[in-house]
Amino acid sequence: MKPSAEEFFSSVKSRREFIKLLAKGLGYSALAASLPGCGGGGGGDSGPDDADKVIPRASTAYRLLKRTGFGVRRDELTLVESLGIDSYIEQQLDYQQVDDGGLESDLQALFPLVYQTAAQLYAGFPDNVGSVVRQMIAAAQYRQIFSRRQLFEVMVEFWTDHFNIDLLNGLCHALKPVDDLQVIRAHALGNFRDLLHGSAKSPAMLFYLDNFYNLAAAPNENYARELLELHTLGVDGGYTEDDVKEVARCFTGWSIHLPAISPGEFGLFNYIDAYHDQGSKLVLGQTIAAGGGEQDGLEVLDMLARHPATARNLATKLCRRFISDDPQAATVDRVADAFLTSNGDIKTTLRALFSSEAFRNSADLKITRPSEYLAGLVRALAPATGYPTDNGQLFFYAQSILGQLPYNWSTPDGYPDLQSYWLNTGSMLNRWRLSFLSFASVLQGQGIDVIQVDYGPMLEGANTLASVTDALIDAILMRPMSALDREAVLTWLSGEFGINDNTPLSAEAAEQIAPLVAAVLISSAYFQLR
Amino acid sequence: MAHDDTTAGRLPNQKDLLLCLFQRGAADGLNSLVPYGDNHYYDHRSVIALPPPGDADGTIDLDGFFALHPSLEPLKSLYDIGQLALVHATGMPHESRSHFDAQDLVEHGVISKPLPATGWLGRHLALSPPETDSAFRVLSISGNVPASLQGASAPLAISNLDDFGFDQDIIDAGYPDVLRNLYHQQVPFASSAVAALSALDELQAANLPSILPENGAIYPNGELGYKLQQAGQLIKSNLPVEVIFVDSGNWDHHESLPNNILRSLAELAAALRAFHTDMGNRMQNITLFVMTEFGRRVAENASAGTDHGSGSLAYALGGGVNGGQVVSDWPGLATPSLLMGEDLAITIDMRTLLSELLIKRLGGTDVSQVFPGFTGPTSANLFLSRS
Repeated sequence: MKPSAEEFFSSVKSRREFIKLLAKGLGYSALAASLPGCGGGGGGDSGPDDADKVIPRASTAYRLLKRTGFGVRRDELTLVESLGIDSYIEQQLDYQQVDDGGLESDLQALFPLVYQTAAQLYAGFPDNVGSVVRQMIAAAQYRQIFSRRQLFEVMVEFWTDHFNIDLLNGLCHALKPVDDLQVIRAHALGNFRDLLHGSAKSPAMLFYLDNFYNLAAAPNENYARELLELHTLGVDGGYTEDDVKEVARCFTGWSIHLPAISPGEFGLFNYIDAYHDQGSKLVLGQTIAAGGGEQDGLEVLDMLARHPATARNLATKLCRRFISDDPQAATVDRVADAFLTSNGDIKTTLRALFSSEAFRNSADLKITRPSEYLAGLVRALAPATGYPTDNGQLFFYAQSILGQLPYNWSTPDGYPDLQSYWLNTGSMLNRWRLSFLSFASVLQGQGIDVIQVDYGPMLEGANTLASVTDALIDAILMRPMSALDREAVLTWLSGEFGINDNTPLSAEAAEQIAPLVAAVLISSAYFQLR
Repeated sequence: MAHDDTTAGRLPNQKDLLLCLFQRGAADGLNSLVPYGDNHYYDHRSVIALPPPGDADGTIDLDGFFALHPSLEPLKSLYDIGQLALVHATGMPHESRSHFDAQDLVEHGVISKPLPATGWLGRHLALSPPETDSAFRVLSISGNVPASLQGASAPLAISNLDDFGFDQDIIDAGYPDVLRNLYHQQVPFASSAVAALSALDELQAANLPSILPENGAIYPNGELGYKLQQAGQLIKSNLPVEVIFVDSGNWDHHESLPNNILRSLAELAAALRAFHTDMGNRMQNITLFVMTEFGRRVAENASAGTDHGSGSLAYALGGGVNGGQVVSDWPGLATPSLLMGEDLAITIDMRTLLSELLIKRLGGTDVSQVFPGFTGPTSANLFLSRS
């Protein structure tokens, strides 16, 4: 039977407290209490149509990068401008050919636990749980910030949410690292059918959704239900409660090697025929003949992978990720068609999306999610920075309070992708507070010298409040600011320093003022939009 | 803005303050309030059933038919003084057994899709104009605004009131002012941004950390206790809050239910009891309502847990509750009485309870607009009318 929470977390009262303990251990005790919980839905705000009226539109290249990566880097903007949109997209889709420098070897050196097998990780239990969690989170953030394969990392995050597994659920800390490498990352830009099969046999998923003790004598519907509702057809995909039960029967006996029985093989897929329901089943109106054994589940997966409802569900989610919360039906249809005609080829599906009018002609239709905001902040301010000298503590803390720690969403639906969830009073305040990363005095008090922002090259000799502001709008926002908003920044600066817009400043004074301006620019709607 | 006189707060004779607590994950009502008078309970749950009252670690009898889980013992005295009522076999009558779907439906106040854009509490708040321009009219003590509150004007979501603010050097540098100017009208996210800045001002004036629990109340350790303690501080600060929303997690007990629910129920009971003690006489003007998205299947599963079901349990606490009773039209647990042969049937629509709450305690909002398509009844004799 599944080990109880007590057995596995005897020293830990709840997963939230566990995260708080981690945060405290990282030296953020005063801040650790502010971890957000998990809610649903969200409040409305002014609609996207207003954006064009008051926020001048960014360049085509910017709009592409803001939505297909974790924020815009100046050198990538230059690259897109020289290559053109289509060539850049093709380059990103062919991600293995994108030079990522020493990123992979850096990761292996910094976060070795991410590469261990379940058996290795289990051998270190329970002392290693905190380290595994920290390294998994840090590795995901590291890739989002530093990888040149930005579209690939966006799709990795997309599928990580789609096939969500909570790292703190029972044995998942030992099982999820393999799932991340061999299922999600292996197929993120591959074929959906392979991804689905990989996920269905993934020990982390079999454990997380309880299928490992789905037995003929006592079926457990948890995986079957989420497979239909979340992974494939979607909640309105036309299946019934009976379909859930029949699919559960098809997956009886799909289990894993458990540590108590076979420690060396722990974490490997294990189909146990004796526990499989050998009778015939009826799934979505199709009969699955008796005696099929493991084949029953495989047949269901194939049926689901090519189902039009799956295409529609995935197309809707992709459009929501890359375009807007309420994508036009015609765009969803176009993407779903590409999915179906290519037999689930993810690159083909994305090409259809990225070449759509709706994608090309839109921008600023929703707020960035926290991961985009955090990585984007580093990528805009300090593109040449190395891995932070605090060993990732600040990024961990930042994602904690913003509420999107990787692999840390407890329910199988993954982090929401609707603005109404992410936009509210508390989240605005937390974003503002984190924008003061660039306002270094806030953090120096805690002895953390996280990212070195070099303002000299951004300022390029600017020597008045007006020219400093303009230089930083160009360097950090990389998009035009309205005259009204530029004036608001200058009025504030003038009042704060008691000088005019055009009073000459020393180079030293300009560099001292720069972080304050940067914090305000990053706090503005210009930077929050995607 | 600051409220420096106490009359600026809630008007005590018009509406209760509502604290809505949502048990996320589908709490098992049958093992929270045990229908020990129905023998079929023991047939369906041979492993996980709780013994009838009278045993050493037995359940706590309420009315000769229903008994509280021993971990809910702190609630017994609230029941006895008539401020706590429980409603069994309630819920939203729909067929979904998906957590996400069912939470959506109950929070949006409907039993079928498409979902309206707004939540039931959001519609209630939109229909009853605010008494003040405070940013603290409606607050979720969480990182995100729950769907129930959608439709209210700029609902606040703050996960930790003690930690909501800027450092003084940031305020001194004039950041709040420049942010206010940059998030002017029609800028995307302006309403959230302006509400955040207003809330900062009000919270600083209210000085919540100086407000301590009263009457010897001791909130339990853990997230729920901390949230209710913050709710208590907010209520006592005289900020004109009308609705506070709090989530409680860890109710999805597919396996090892007896062990797992014990902790969850103990935390719930201790937190409710501490809040009640802390509020003292203020409870005359406060209603606390506890709901979940659906109940769990009547029969236990092979993992000593329960799967997704239908009818479940709701709690109402406060001076305006017609307490000391279990409100129920018990459908029975004999298999032929079960919904689809396996679930506790819903005999009291959750919308009946919430309509009665709106009518009798929250100022009489037009329930047909809050619950579109719902035709009643609008009372289950759960609340007393405000005088």
